[in-house]
Amino acid sequence: MNTLAAPGDTWGIPGPLFLKLYLLVAVVAVVGTLLHRRRATAGPDPVTADQLGPQQVAYLNGGDQLAIWAALGGLRAAGAIDVRPDRRLIAAGPTPTGVTPLDHAIRHAARQPVAAQKLGRDSGVARALEQLRQGLEQRGLLIDADGVRALRRGRNLLLVLLALGVVRLVAGLVNARPVGWLLVALLVLGVALALLARTPRRTRTANVLLRRLRQSSHHLSPDSAPAYATYGAAGAAMGVALFGTASLYALDPGFAAQAEIQRQALNASSGSSYSGSSGTSCGGSSSSSSCSGGSSSSCGGGGSSCGGGGGCGG
Amino acid sequence: MTWPHGVGIGWRPEIAGFVAELPGLRFVEVVAESLAAGGPLPAGLAALRERGVTVVPHGVRLSLGGAEPVDPHRVAHLARVAELVDAPLVSEHVAFVRAGGLEAGHLLPLPRTREAVTAVVANVRRAQAELPVPLALEPIAALFDWPDDELDEADFLTEILDATGAGLLLDVANVYANARNRGDDPHALLDRLPLERISYVHVAGGAERDGLYHDTHTDPVPAEVLELVGALCARRPPPALLLERDGHYPPAAALRAELDALAVAAGHPVVT
Repeated sequence: MNTLAAPGDTWGIPGPLFLKLYLLVAVVAVVGTLLHRRRATAGPDPVTADQLGPQQVAYLNGGDQLAIWAALGGLRAAGAIDVRPDRRLIAAGPTPTGVTPLDHAIRHAARQPVAAQKLGRDSGVARALEQLRQGLEQRGLLIDADGVRALRRGRNLLLVLLALGVVRLVAGLVNARPVGWLLVALLVLGVALALLARTPRRTRTANVLLRRLRQSSHHLSPDSAPAYATYGAAGAAMGVALFGTASLYALDPGFAAQAEIQRQALNASSGSSYSGSSGTSCGGSSSSSSCSGGSSSSCGGGGSSCGGGGGCGG
Repeated sequence: MTWPHGVGIGWRPEIAGFVAELPGLRFVEVVAESLAAGGPLPAGLAALRERGVTVVPHGVRLSLGGAEPVDPHRVAHLARVAELVDAPLVSEHVAFVRAGGLEAGHLLPLPRTREAVTAVVANVRRAQAELPVPLALEPIAALFDWPDDELDEADFLTEILDATGAGLLLDVANVYANARNRGDDPHALLDRLPLERISYVHVAGGAERDGLYHDTHTDPVPAEVLELVGALCARRPPPALLLERDGHYPPAAALRAELDALAVAAGHPVVT
């Protein structure tokens, strides 16, 4: 009986038994979380996904803020938005044909002069963005709030398990018991947790579609010096959606700089890192423009930080 | 590698997305110096090649009309690019872009002398010896003539083509520009050019400035140039015609309309 519970055992549970139970639970939890994540982030068959509009692509690629920039790109290419000397936007000309609800909301918000950075705070624009998001969720390209919560539950379970192991480790160390194998198990669990730390917002289908679009739309990359007049408003908007506000600067540098739109070049690696856990904005109160995901390379001119509002774009 | 046929357009990165969506397109031309000899091809151009679209490298920096021998490195680059795109032929200008080590940055016209014919023929032969495919030569638009010209344009070209066996890349917009700026009749020149030597034809837009017509490649193709295309095709239809546009790109609909107008004028199927 000594082998089951010796007086020196931490919490009265012998080390080998705890380790066995702990490993069992950990393996079940990690495998379960991975399986759940795999299923929950799959998305529909990419072949069946219809053509995506520029603003949908922008939302997938960079959330609310990039969708606004893409809409601005389309509106600017159509001559439907202007910037005043005081750096605020103002609607111009008649409503172009084929406008989306977001285009309409932005033009409505810009009936009165409005700063580009503050467009997202307009209630109409926010509603249009909400519609855009819901549409993408219904098509299985974005994971909805319930799905995100479910994904986080699995991750949180692993976090609790890790915390328990750490407490046991500390207790074992205090008791001067051998903890080598537990330490190894904790390291492995820690790695698994690190890999699962970021909760994706996009499904894998969305990632596939974005990747395909980036390849097939290379001509819209600012590197190609796209002839925006030839590609039209939709081409300009798609350029911003896929390649960031660098496309706005390529389209109309005077407009983009005057409107204090932060220059941001998206590439394949930064585009795929958009996650819902931290939102899409960075820089906090000092900057109201956004960077996609956590990529440090996605903001031009600002190094790893997003910099102030006027630092990059002004 | 299919010989150029029908109506094509100059492939430029700026309009690659437009060119990619022309359903009937059978051939494009690409500025040879814009391609890396070792590849890879720009994605848009590679996609066209996969579709079986013929790609013709068009050199602009060889300086075949230079008094000094043509630069072997430049010829080698053109040769490698031709292999890279599996081209049926390449083309260059009858012009010089550098002299005495100085780069003009422009295609400059040659004096139409016997001496110039000899120099061009020697350079064309040097290039032909290294090129894996036939070479077509394009006369350029000249805003001025040299005072010591001995030959007229048709004789000058015919002598060069006869001596080298090269094809003719006839730029109808150049024919129009030269005739208009000299006050000549462009149809008379068409009558005297060896039209049976034409590999393909260039058509481009231009504009009048200060009384001179400039072959800008950034303006719409004037009706007079399209009319001259029709006149050329009535004499001897060329196998292929190519629209050159090098900037100030118009909306897609306008560019499509130009390609359609070219197809109609030449009696080729529309590519849009």
